[in-house]
Amino acid sequence: MNDEGLRNTLKVQRAMRDLTQADLAALAGVTRKSVNAIEAGRMTPSVLLALKLSRALGVSIETLFHLDGGPEPAKT
Amino acid sequence: MTALADNSSELLVRFSRRSMAAMLVIVPGLGAMALAMTLWPEGAASRFMAQAAWVYPIAIVFLGAALRATLRGKSWDPRSPDAKAILNDELRQHSLNRSSRAALIAVLVAQIPLALLFGTLPQASAIRTALAMAEASIILGTAIFIALVLFLDRE
Repeated sequence: MNDEGLRNTLKVQRAMRDLTQADLAALAGVTRKSVNAIEAGRMTPSVLLALKLSRALGVSIETLFHLDGGPEPAKT
Repeated sequence: MTALADNSSELLVRFSRRSMAAMLVIVPGLGAMALAMTLWPEGAASRFMAQAAWVYPIAIVFLGAALRATLRGKSWDPRSPDAKAILNDELRQHSLNRSSRAALIAVLVAQIPLALLFGTLPQASAIRTALAMAEASIILGTAIFIALVLFLDRE
């Protein structure tokens, strides 16, 4: 599902805030399975879900998601 | 922070999966019996179904009650935030879309084998054969759909 090399820093950002997958799922209004699937790269989220996740973590969307081989995500 | 994410959402997810797993057992079971009744109306399976017809609604009600008991007092309210999160979940939506497409393709592909299978059955009228094919298609499509949703929407 992740053919275009979309990478994410969801796990790192979540760990920096001491959040579990369930905590983040509750903040973003999704299920823990979706958070797990995105972290594992098994699912590419829609723009809406990506925005919800970035808002829940308080970071920009570019910090959370970047293309493989693209510029490194900004440190937040 | 873990207090924020209480396990009500997880309970509802598990309830949803258990309900689908129960459907995966019920649909082929009842479907197989209906198929037997259509093809062999005088057969042992048809006689058994006719005698024990009252058992099935009761069994389904008990199964439903047992499934609800796993919610531990919580109710499935589609308007609640937890239920909305599950129903609108993207992973679930992806799984439903892919499963419905796969089930449709499977049903279409199965038409020729089913026609060959039911066409060779002796003592079956054309109308019963057509009815049996329709029933088998419904059972197959539903079972594949539910099984794929459970597989794709896993951890």
